[in-house]
Amino acid sequence: MRRVWDIAMKELLQNRRDWLAPLFTLVLPAVFTAFLGLLIPSADEGESRLPLALADADGSPAAVRLVEGLRETPLLRLEPMTASEVDGAVQDQKVAAALIIPEGFGAAVEAGQPAALTFVGVQTSSGAQSVRQAVWSVLSGFNTATLAAKAAAGQVAAETGRPLDDTLLGSARSLVEASLAAPAATVRVTDARGSATLDAGSFDQSSTGSLVNWVFFSLLGVTANTVWERSRGLLRRMTAAGVRGSQIIGGKMLAMVILSFVQQLLLVLLGQFAFGVDYFSSPVALLVTMVSISMLAAAFGLLITSLFRSEQAVIATIIITALLLAALGGAWFPLEITGAGFSRVAHVLPSAWLMDSLHGITLQAWGVGDILRPMAVVWMWVVGLLAIAVWRFRPD
Amino acid sequence: MEGIVVQGLRKQFDPPRGPVAADDLSFDIREGEIFSLLGPNGAGKTTTISMLSCLLRPDVGDARVGGFSVTREPGKVKELIGVVPQDVALYEDLTGRENLLFWGRMYGLKGPRLTQRVDEVLELIGLVDRQKDRLGKYSGGMKRRVNIGAALLHNPRFLYLDEPTVGIDPQSRRSILDGVKDFKAAGVTVLYTTHYMEEAQELSDRIGILDKGKMIALGTKDELVHLVGEHTRIEVTLDREAQSLAAQWRDLPRVLDVSEPEDGRLWLLAEDANTLMPRLFEGARAAGARITEINLAEPNLETVFLHLTGRALRD
Repeated sequence: MRRVWDIAMKELLQNRRDWLAPLFTLVLPAVFTAFLGLLIPSADEGESRLPLALADADGSPAAVRLVEGLRETPLLRLEPMTASEVDGAVQDQKVAAALIIPEGFGAAVEAGQPAALTFVGVQTSSGAQSVRQAVWSVLSGFNTATLAAKAAAGQVAAETGRPLDDTLLGSARSLVEASLAAPAATVRVTDARGSATLDAGSFDQSSTGSLVNWVFFSLLGVTANTVWERSRGLLRRMTAAGVRGSQIIGGKMLAMVILSFVQQLLLVLLGQFAFGVDYFSSPVALLVTMVSISMLAAAFGLLITSLFRSEQAVIATIIITALLLAALGGAWFPLEITGAGFSRVAHVLPSAWLMDSLHGITLQAWGVGDILRPMAVVWMWVVGLLAIAVWRFRPD
Repeated sequence: MEGIVVQGLRKQFDPPRGPVAADDLSFDIREGEIFSLLGPNGAGKTTTISMLSCLLRPDVGDARVGGFSVTREPGKVKELIGVVPQDVALYEDLTGRENLLFWGRMYGLKGPRLTQRVDEVLELIGLVDRQKDRLGKYSGGMKRRVNIGAALLHNPRFLYLDEPTVGIDPQSRRSILDGVKDFKAAGVTVLYTTHYMEEAQELSDRIGILDKGKMIALGTKDELVHLVGEHTRIEVTLDREAQSLAAQWRDLPRVLDVSEPEDGRLWLLAEDANTLMPRLFEGARAAGARITEINLAEPNLETVFLHLTGRALRD
């Protein structure tokens, strides 16, 4: 065991002296986390709302209530302007659509007369269609509240003999709005497990994705060094000194696990404290996942050094493997946005299960029990890869 | 105490058609002596050292090192030997001291004993002042010295040096040769491989000459030279290429062998140089050539190899 430790420490010392190592281990992963995080729009960011130009030519209390309703809609961002400006704004695509509240809108509503709003939008635009749906929804609520208040006030006036004035209508409206705020029937929306990433913040995806994407790059130094040692006779010299092959493998493996774990730890801390990703809902589950990622990467690294004899081949294979596993495993984009078929195929790969676990921990507060299944798949890969690596490993 | 006893070692790569790198090798190396394996490239020297280091398993035969079998007790054998590989097998990005510390740990040293041995070896190889420099900044000769030092850390009883002077400057070479003599003085048994005849002659108590995997001669330098008899090597330089002259000289009486001419130079192996010399000059004149230089050399290991194989060591 002592020789295993000594070999690992030697690897870490060499890694520390390689100026490229921190670049691949921390700098590039951090930059990519930030870059992808900024690139992917977040569900809770204001900028993701659709801009709606609003021209209120009326200004009546009814118009103000309608505008308030529109403002509270999560999908819309209101941009007030005059009626003469809205056509140009829509044509120039500065807004997704426009809504004009004509003069006399409030009076017509109060009098129970039909009141028409003008909606301006490009019919083929999906943004305009989404905005129209949202406006219709708000209008529907507005109409419901207005008509219900009027009906209730009329009933009260008829039964009590009170005059149907603004005071009575106002009271009735307040009563209706309070009732609508607590509707009799609601729909409870729950996330199907595994689809949590659809609602993920941008850094939830980029930060967790970086953990899986960049872990292999942290091993470039050790893997290339192992091949170099073999070609220069250093592994053979170790064997002549009485070091067993299993001790060489153990030392290399330990170094790779330490390096990749440190990289993950730094990225997790960066994600938690700089990008607001909630990694620590279950520290034990996180720890198990991180160790599994490190073991998987180290097993892949060992296998590649066992199979290839040149540094160039090892580096190229590691880069290609890392990119394929990351891209197909959902480290670049959530698998939920792909088809079910693609997602099923992707789950042949261990990276997909690692991403499931990381998303579960960060977005759904998964505990140890929840990650057992994905980690079982990952460890099957680890054992398989290690078995082949040990079988194929030669010191010369 | 028992030294090294080699019994019928055979190794063939890629059988059945691959080259036989060691063919029924049997010899012994006595405790405390310097034993050289001399032979051209590809003779089987490195293969033999690899088998005696337990890095390569022989197809047939066995060897005992310090009383332990290389095939059945490799762990015991490895504790007794220090192996200096042909190429420098060290880490360029570690300092000289860090390299020695690492290899010391690989040999199972630790704590104060490790530090002490590293200090002693640095002193021995004369690199105390440069111990904190990275190996990448060392000269070729300095790297060679560290390469040897790394094999001495655990005080081995047997030291194998596989062509340790290849590609280094004369000063470093001298330093290494003197060092090998010091190892012997310290009681270490040395197995030294080389294709430099001069090194084998200078260092060795006994020499084994290898060619194509076979041990073609073994003994002290004097015993080996005696194999050639009273032969003399005559080195001739002509003013022009003389293929026909070489063929003509081959037919002269008392001429045992003549090399192929190269840039007007060739050598002859002859029994009686004094009688032969006038004939050489006559032959050259008749062929329209002029001898510009002629040297007579007493028999040496080169002559022995030539005598036994018909080829020069560096062919």
